[in-house]
Amino acid sequence: MKTVMTLDVNGEPREVLAEGRDTLLELLRDRLGLTGTKEGCSNGNCGSCTVLLDGEPVCACLVLAAEVNGARVTTIEGIATGNDLHPVQAELIRHGGTQCGFCTPGIVLSAVALLARNPRPTDGDIRHAIAGNLCRCTGYDKIVEAVAAAAQGGAP
Amino acid sequence: MTTTKAPSEQKVIGQRAPRVDGGERVTGRAVYPADLVRPGLCHGRILRSPHAHARILGIDTSKAAALTGVLAVVTANDFPIVPPGTIIPFGETGADAWISAVIVLARDKVLWRGQPIAAVAALDPHIAAAALDLIDVRWEILPAVMSIAAAMAPEAPLIHPDIKPKGFDAGAAIPRNVGARTLIERGDVAAALASSVAVGRVAAVIDTGHQGYIEPHACIAEADPQGNVTIWASTQGAFQTEIQTAVLLNLPQSKLKVVPLEIGGGFGGKITVHVEPIAARLAQKCGRPVKIVMSREEMLAGGSGPAAAAEIEVAVGATADGTLTAIEGRYFYDTGGLPGTPTTLVMQASAAHYQCPNIRLEGMDVVTNKPRTEAYRGPGGIQAAFAFEQAVDELALSLNMDPLELRRRNAAVTGSMMPIGTPFPPLGLTTVLDSVAAHACWRDPLGSGALPRGRGLALGYWRGTSMTSAAQVMVAGDGRVMVSMGTVDISGTRTTMAQVAAEEFEIPLGDVHVSMGDTKSAGYSDAAAGSRVGRTMAAAVSEACRDALGQLRGRAAEKLQAPPDTITYASGVFRSARTGDASLTLFDLMRATLSDGAVIGRGVSTKLPFGVEVGAHVCDVEVDPETGQVTILRYTAFQDVGRALNPMAVEGQIEGSVVQGLGWALTEHFDYAADGRLRNASLLDYRMPTALDVPAIECVIIEVPVPGVPYGLRGVGEMPIVPVAAAVGNGIRRAVGVRLTQMPMTPERVLRAIKGSNFGRLS
Repeated sequence: MKTVMTLDVNGEPREVLAEGRDTLLELLRDRLGLTGTKEGCSNGNCGSCTVLLDGEPVCACLVLAAEVNGARVTTIEGIATGNDLHPVQAELIRHGGTQCGFCTPGIVLSAVALLARNPRPTDGDIRHAIAGNLCRCTGYDKIVEAVAAAAQGGAP
Repeated sequence: MTTTKAPSEQKVIGQRAPRVDGGERVTGRAVYPADLVRPGLCHGRILRSPHAHARILGIDTSKAAALTGVLAVVTANDFPIVPPGTIIPFGETGADAWISAVIVLARDKVLWRGQPIAAVAALDPHIAAAALDLIDVRWEILPAVMSIAAAMAPEAPLIHPDIKPKGFDAGAAIPRNVGARTLIERGDVAAALASSVAVGRVAAVIDTGHQGYIEPHACIAEADPQGNVTIWASTQGAFQTEIQTAVLLNLPQSKLKVVPLEIGGGFGGKITVHVEPIAARLAQKCGRPVKIVMSREEMLAGGSGPAAAAEIEVAVGATADGTLTAIEGRYFYDTGGLPGTPTTLVMQASAAHYQCPNIRLEGMDVVTNKPRTEAYRGPGGIQAAFAFEQAVDELALSLNMDPLELRRRNAAVTGSMMPIGTPFPPLGLTTVLDSVAAHACWRDPLGSGALPRGRGLALGYWRGTSMTSAAQVMVAGDGRVMVSMGTVDISGTRTTMAQVAAEEFEIPLGDVHVSMGDTKSAGYSDAAAGSRVGRTMAAAVSEACRDALGQLRGRAAEKLQAPPDTITYASGVFRSARTGDASLTLFDLMRATLSDGAVIGRGVSTKLPFGVEVGAHVCDVEVDPETGQVTILRYTAFQDVGRALNPMAVEGQIEGSVVQGLGWALTEHFDYAADGRLRNASLLDYRMPTALDVPAIECVIIEVPVPGVPYGLRGVGEMPIVPVAAAVGNGIRRAVGVRLTQMPMTPERVLRAIKGSNFGRLS
């Protein structure tokens, strides 16, 4: 059973034909070709598929496509303005906060959501905000430093 | 080889250069195999064994093949038989393609739960999954052994009756299910232990762990009508993927092309092929490109190779003044369902960094009905050090000696004998230990808190490998430098190699472009493994740069009308002393001579001197005696890296290693049921550290260069996981007085140890 879903993805109106069993993650990756959002576990445990649903970070693998009709979704492809990186993205590069890069899109989304609600987070706030995003390469330090620097750099 | 500039003269090497490919990563543009789509793409799924040990009596795939939307079905019958001992090139030792073949697809017998037995390609993954349910397999279930002890027991079922254990003396009693025994021995350990004033002993049991890369295994394979096969892979070695797949498919290697895409972490687990030969055979059968993406559950429960469980007994003896007299170690590594996990490196990893006249290290790989283990960052090192460095700590306690002082007194130095009987090349271990002694993390008293605290120290050693790496350097029409390398980028290799090329050409980093070649465009290079790529690729790139510069010098001589030996080159400009101030920039030279032919520099490095890695970790812990919870308060990692090509990348390797090590030290383990079922096959229950579980890691980088290696580089990425669990264990011992001998040191185990001790009862 397929349904036409109407939603806003990264500021663009989209109409997508989705199957009832499709998750938001499948909708984004397979139907819309937005493969920047990664699948690491499909159980909501790794955070690689973090996107913003009406501004709130969610694991796209845990949201059914059927739930997002009329919603506003922000993915990693919608964070930079053209080729102007968001401060979180720029600082992740500058501080060595991305290694293999697979968890990075999810980390960026979690950090962007944090800074939107708390522009001056402590290191503890940052660690708490990315606690749902597993990273196996960096040991997290350089990610925390990067997000802190992005916050220092002014309003995103 | 030619000399390199002194560190003080280096302009780009040693800089904290951000990743040259960072922009792709932070915007989601970096392409991993699961992201790729090819025209006509279909989807493969793998049927896995529900039994830990069973004979396959028959597989009926007819119903699956008849399902609408199914394009191809394969079983082992679609692949040639690859017998044990089918040696294929890999580094200095080669590898046995039989291991890969059995990991990829079981033939007559399954050896672990989750081992592949058949696969389906279909129009979509859901149809493929439905088709798997239609495959009928008839089984004869065999008794399974799920631990080292069970496997070695006299009555244990023999998992590989046809394989003769190696390394045993004639007439010696051979335990069951052992693949090979390794012995490193010098002096008389028994006598030395008997006459030692003090002996530190630890018998440790380490559970199976997993590398835990966040990207699941994935690939796309496509076969064309001419018989060529292309595989887009997430691999630590494109050529290793090519060779294994070619042998497993009986396909000429030249007909296969492996294109390495981004790899979302490997840590040793993406050297052996898993899905690639299956996708390739399915693609050949159905004539369409096939994508296979493993689920996390598949990966954890038998679809990928975890890191070996181990049982290790260590005894370290010393005189009253703390001079080591004897080291005895017995190392049993659970290799999983197939033999052939070497224990020699591991045995050395636990004792090589000490000077000791009497050494006896005995290792065995033990076959069990668990997934075949694969490498994990300094494979076996953390397990060995967990036992060994805790035994050294016991020795310090028993001698009532400062644990750092005990180690300083016995540390290996340049020229002292490795256990294998060769002298150490220049080695900065004593410098490392002096740095620890001078550092606040060791000098500052450990403040008291509401809960007991302890400070643990442990040393780490890893020898690393050389193998071979190839690079080519081309100079673009605008004088910029383009590097193509035969290894993949698992750790920022593009960035560090751009630094090497920029240094060699004395041009800005931004004027260098580095790409990963595929197996049809780059020279043969071994996999990114064994802490080798930074060193050996740097050697290859530097050689290729010098080759290209030599060619350019000839052209410059011609243009400047001066003999080549009068031409000097610095910072992108050729000059001739002979013709006054006449000069040519790289840009002008390439513009003027582009049509004279391409400038291609060749660099191949092989058999570099060992880049022995040594380090020391200091870890402050807090232990809650009511819950057994261990909190890491402070962690400092010291490491001799020879020369830090890029200190930020070096720190990234160290910090990542430490956090991986803390995960295995405290929470990560495979929980197997007696029937071989993995009870925690998810990232909720296989508990890797989050950002909240670990403190900031401080790195102290020490640079004692290795002669004969460009820039004096040592390996970096493996050693820093080795001492982690031991440092934590030593911290716990000093906090609450109990020695944890089971890893991970979960709250339950810590609590059990505390309850079994006298802790808290005397006060």
